[in-house]
Amino acid sequence: MTTLMTPPKESDSSNKSTRPSRASRSKVGRWVLFFAMMVIAVVMLYPFWVMIVTSLKSEAQFLAGQGFSWLSWKNLSATIPIGQEVLSSTIVCSASILIILVVGLPAGFAFSKLRFRTSTAVFLVIVSAMMVPLQAILMPEFVNVTKLGLTGGYFGAILVYAALGTPFSVFLFTTYFRGVPDELIEAGIVDGLSYFGALWRLVVPIAIPAIATVTVLQFIQIWDDLLVGLLFIQNTSERPITVGLAVLAAGRTTSIPELMAGSIISALPAMVVYLGFQRYLVKGLTMGIDR
Amino acid sequence: MSVMTSSAPRVRRMTLRRRRQVAGFLFALPAIALVVGFIGVPIGQAVYYSFTQWNGLTSTWIGPSTWAQAFHNSNLWTALENNALLLLAVPFALGLPLGIAVLLHQRVAGWRIFRSIYFLPTAISWVVLGLVAERFFAYQGTLNSIIHALGFSHVNTNMLGYESTALSALGITFVFTMIGTNTMLFLTGLATLDPSLEEAARIDGAGSWRIFRSITLPHLSRFIQLAFVMTVIALFSALFSLIFVMTGGGPGYATTTMEFLIYQTGFNQGDFGTAALYGLILFVLTGIVGVVQLRLIGSNE
Repeated sequence: MTTLMTPPKESDSSNKSTRPSRASRSKVGRWVLFFAMMVIAVVMLYPFWVMIVTSLKSEAQFLAGQGFSWLSWKNLSATIPIGQEVLSSTIVCSASILIILVVGLPAGFAFSKLRFRTSTAVFLVIVSAMMVPLQAILMPEFVNVTKLGLTGGYFGAILVYAALGTPFSVFLFTTYFRGVPDELIEAGIVDGLSYFGALWRLVVPIAIPAIATVTVLQFIQIWDDLLVGLLFIQNTSERPITVGLAVLAAGRTTSIPELMAGSIISALPAMVVYLGFQRYLVKGLTMGIDR
Repeated sequence: MSVMTSSAPRVRRMTLRRRRQVAGFLFALPAIALVVGFIGVPIGQAVYYSFTQWNGLTSTWIGPSTWAQAFHNSNLWTALENNALLLLAVPFALGLPLGIAVLLHQRVAGWRIFRSIYFLPTAISWVVLGLVAERFFAYQGTLNSIIHALGFSHVNTNMLGYESTALSALGITFVFTMIGTNTMLFLTGLATLDPSLEEAARIDGAGSWRIFRSITLPHLSRFIQLAFVMTVIALFSALFSLIFVMTGGGPGYATTTMEFLIYQTGFNQGDFGTAALYGLILFVLTGIVGVVQLRLIGSNE
């Protein structure tokens, strides 16, 4: 398995001199390798260590640099409306993802199997929208959504997230559905299914892995996002948790141990999703390149 | 449809085709509407408003002079310069993950656990990572503890506090936040590498470095290109959370990048017109990178 440890057993008379050195190096090499990987692991775990250790101090203990207590965890809900914020994040995330799927699945089906005139051009336009960063259109977007009266509740943010996530989902579903044989759809239509029926009964069931990829990627993206939640949800009482944390952190007056406790709570859902669905994430990231 | 089955098969096929096209268009319509309404229209509006004085409520047409004026604004040049300087972080944001992926690919005992650990920070918000980074660079933070532990007890850094070092601290944080994603990309690339190629090269007497340069790197080129594009786009459009939490764009304008300048100009100074104009500049910058990526995707189809 290991490439460092594959000394060829035969046909090696020509380079006898290099062989023993490589064999001995591979044993030392493995330890060096293991050590290097441990060091990297420590670096990558550093944020979690900071969050956990800092949250286990009171503000006084944090400033003094010693001692531990549960005080910051006990006071957490008084400083940060954590329950409300997690609820807001959940609502915004699920509604946005739902729209992204409901809009993306039929579009992917259309661009791959029900092609109409100009569908290739339209597809390209939608896919290139992936490249437009929100900041580039931030001002008109903000004014439009405000004028529509959507910044009062969650609706503005949900629609903006949905619009930003749709190009990727359309791209992914289209690419995925190209692998579905045309005969399957045609057979369904001949059997009397409507196109909607074909989508719902034949295509969606095969698309579960692609749906999972879109859901996981978008969940992490939206749950972790700051900008949209900050600007498009005007009610401070409806803020998602990432926004709540960022605003308190930027204010520079909130106790840092309590901020860290809040950070842990905000990080948990995304981490659980991440660890549980890692392979879908990898699939989504390398979509269009790894086939 | 069922009425004309026997008499006119050609007509039936035509109507079927027509129906399929109509269905296809209707199925695509919601996605088109969402993307056009929330991304396409605002681009057009941004172009219009970039020529106006605009506070979000009323706009007055000024003309092309707004652009000339914008380029005389030193803040714009500072932001562009900061973005350019941050590009220096890109080689690290690619090189370190490449090294880590190669290490993981050796598959020593427990490599799966290491892999999960390395990817874990990717799940966390950059808001939280920014908070942690602020602790790392703070006067009483981890960085100074490390420096003291190495024996330089009189040295104290406060990188986020000074104009000369704040951008470097931001760049280092950026590299850290990109490690998970890029390592994942490269590891996926390595997994598609045919191990017998390496084996054959080794039997032919090639050393590890030679194999890496002549087999592994060329094989990964597509993945490196993709990672490069994703990293640059993140650099131009995903630093907002880090900057918002760590520095607020300061000290002075030391960590104000284009995307943060847009936010500041629009929402702190209320100058929506100039902010829209800055947005278009960012749009062009990412557009250049985007064209490269589209060509990558396109050449793959």
